[in-house]
Amino acid sequence: MSPTFAAENKLEKFQTDTSVIAVERGVDTFMNACHGCHSLKYVHYRDLARFGIDKERIATWRGDSTLDSAMTSLLSDEAALQSFGKVPPDLSMIVMAREGGASYVFAYLTGYYLTPEGMTSNHLFPLTKMPDALEISTATDSVKRSEIMEQAHDIVSFLSWAADPQKAERESLGYYVIGYLIILTVLLYNVKLQVWSKLKT
Amino acid sequence: MAEYDDLDDTGRRDFLLKVTTVVTGAGAVAASIPFVASMNPSAELLAKANTEVDLSDIPVGGMHTVAWQGKPIFILHRTPESIKAMEATNGGLKPEQDSDRVKKPEWLVVIGVCTHMGCVPNKEGPGWTCHCHGSQYDDSGRVLRGPAPNNLEVPPYRFIADNKIMIGQA
Amino acid sequence: MANKIIAWIDHRFPLTSFIKHELTGYPTPRNLSYWWNFGFLAGIVLMLQVLTGLFLAMHYKPDAAMAFDSIQHIMRDVNYGWLLRFMHSTGASAFFLVIYIHMARTLYYGSYRAPRELMWWTGQGLLLLLMATAFMGYLLPWGQMSFWGATVITNLFRATPFIGDQVVVWLRGDYAVGDDTLTRFFALHYLFPFLIIGAVVIHLVALHSVRSSNPSGIDLADKDNIPFHPYYTIKDFYGLGVFLMAYFLVVFFFPHSVLEPANNIPANPLITPDHIVPEWYFLPFYAILRAVPNMVGGVVAMGLSVIVFAFMPFLDRSRIPGGGRYRPVYRIMFYLFILDILVLGYVGYVPPTSKTIIIGQVATFIYFGSFILLPFISKAEDKWLFKRGLPPKILALIASEEQEIAKRGKR
Repeated sequence: MSPTFAAENKLEKFQTDTSVIAVERGVDTFMNACHGCHSLKYVHYRDLARFGIDKERIATWRGDSTLDSAMTSLLSDEAALQSFGKVPPDLSMIVMAREGGASYVFAYLTGYYLTPEGMTSNHLFPLTKMPDALEISTATDSVKRSEIMEQAHDIVSFLSWAADPQKAERESLGYYVIGYLIILTVLLYNVKLQVWSKLKT
Repeated sequence: MAEYDDLDDTGRRDFLLKVTTVVTGAGAVAASIPFVASMNPSAELLAKANTEVDLSDIPVGGMHTVAWQGKPIFILHRTPESIKAMEATNGGLKPEQDSDRVKKPEWLVVIGVCTHMGCVPNKEGPGWTCHCHGSQYDDSGRVLRGPAPNNLEVPPYRFIADNKIMIGQA
Repeated sequence: MANKIIAWIDHRFPLTSFIKHELTGYPTPRNLSYWWNFGFLAGIVLMLQVLTGLFLAMHYKPDAAMAFDSIQHIMRDVNYGWLLRFMHSTGASAFFLVIYIHMARTLYYGSYRAPRELMWWTGQGLLLLLMATAFMGYLLPWGQMSFWGATVITNLFRATPFIGDQVVVWLRGDYAVGDDTLTRFFALHYLFPFLIIGAVVIHLVALHSVRSSNPSGIDLADKDNIPFHPYYTIKDFYGLGVFLMAYFLVVFFFPHSVLEPANNIPANPLITPDHIVPEWYFLPFYAILRAVPNMVGGVVAMGLSVIVFAFMPFLDRSRIPGGGRYRPVYRIMFYLFILDILVLGYVGYVPPTSKTIIIGQVATFIYFGSFILLPFISKAEDKWLFKRGLPPKILALIASEEQEIAKRGKR
């Protein structure tokens, strides 16, 4: 959209997979790799159930929290400030809140590398305070790397769903509405033709 | 001004116009659904539609009031005498068996909203009195004196443990 | 029974005659093109905005601590809340699009000419009200773009002579945009549509007194008018069907295209986003603001760029009706002006560089230059066209217009 991030134009187009299976894998990886620090305060565990993920599976993620509670992290803001100097952002809307959307988040997650000095850095966001949670910067063999890419893909798919959970419902309703409007407009056009054909010149 | 010539109406135009009118009307009705639906309780409130209550700290003869869906729920731990008295009668204006109104005789669970105009009755002696218009209920929540037309309503609930109930799910 | 009720009302209130004279039987030029659909569409979009806004207001919380959360509540928990919200956010853009096309049509066909100056000016007032309403509504989601947009725009009032700083504080109710600003913007965002509806009524009363313009640019003889119903009711509804298809295509499939990503981050008074841009409908004016290197000058230029349209009835000195339809030079000017606005829009969108600043300044000169030169160009064009000899069709139009004016004078 806006031209702030020149890099975003080069981002590979991310193909979101919002099938229940992919999102479920994404939640699982998210809960292990991200949820320690990052909250999803606008997403509730019940939303996952409504989306179609098995309740028993959800129970393994939510621990003592109820099904109605938000997916907030256990890390307090104070503790986060002490360890990172920054409160990790809430990720409920992260895919919508970045230019480039899902493609940006994916490129960011997989953009970690080791500098010649042995420091971890990120291609997309060199000043980031977030550690390389998926450990892609130290993964050298290609099998491991492609595994991590898969994980990142699942996480981003899940986050895409989390930022726009009604997308599927919205689009399916959209087909009906547009279909209806096409029929209505064709009818109105024909009535218009007939009415105007009566006009005496 | 040129006039609209509607004398030589063909049947086809009538038909087309009728179909279009019906389709337009149906669309307008369908379009009102989201607006009306948006005024119903949100998913968040529906999720809070169930209230779990721990009964263990209510003493015999004591009453607790808990909120369920924004309404007060009276939970009365009835004494054996009270149970006996209630089982002996069928109430007053709206006769009903006590056993139909409880799941366990020592626990009475009713919605604490007077069936007359929606005030919250006060616990006074055995039973309740509504101070708005003077209706009286017994220890089974049955109306003894008007103007209330009905017995206090029993909410859907079930025992999820010996000392725990879930209000909202029958 | 129904007849009796109507008769009873008619005895006390001019119901039937009003409908007959102002709605069904309202005489309308028969030669209107589809460009004349947009006034009706603007009215429909206004109703859509009022309706969706009303239902959104039932769930929204105008409090800095809760506003962002309440939008998420609407989007995620309220039944069809996402639909109401996307209809409202898309509707804002649709409103401006429809209004801009409506204005462009008026400019192209010279519909602002006598006797329709009041139509043009009430329309101008409506545009200002619409801009104010849209601007205040944009603060309500309380995202980063909301916050910083409101900060920048309220800061424009620093250009007020002598008491600029006080005016800004007064507008905000705080030293920076804050909770009080949000609450008052919500109150005014709810109020302004009533003002808009009032102004629309005036616009329509004016319309029914001077009657619709038409592509020929003159008042047509009686025989060339047709009753509004059924001809234009059905034509307007057909246009509405086409419009709704485009509108709902965005609402259901690309709703995020009219929302800035940064507005999905809650407002933070301590961090400005890297790139703040106004909504697309303000971009050309924003570019003019940035083109002037002086703060007060920029604000004045931006204000003028909106107001200047009001002078069109005086600036256009041509005697030939129909605007761009019969006047080649005016037509070229019109298209160049539209192009210039698009360039300004682009310049307003990209982050300023030395190159875009120059382009913006040139485009700003062309923008105002078009208005300043119009009296001379239109006069010269007139002279040239008359000297060249007008086609008989246009001469006939001018003659018939003169007759109409004379007839009206006698009445």
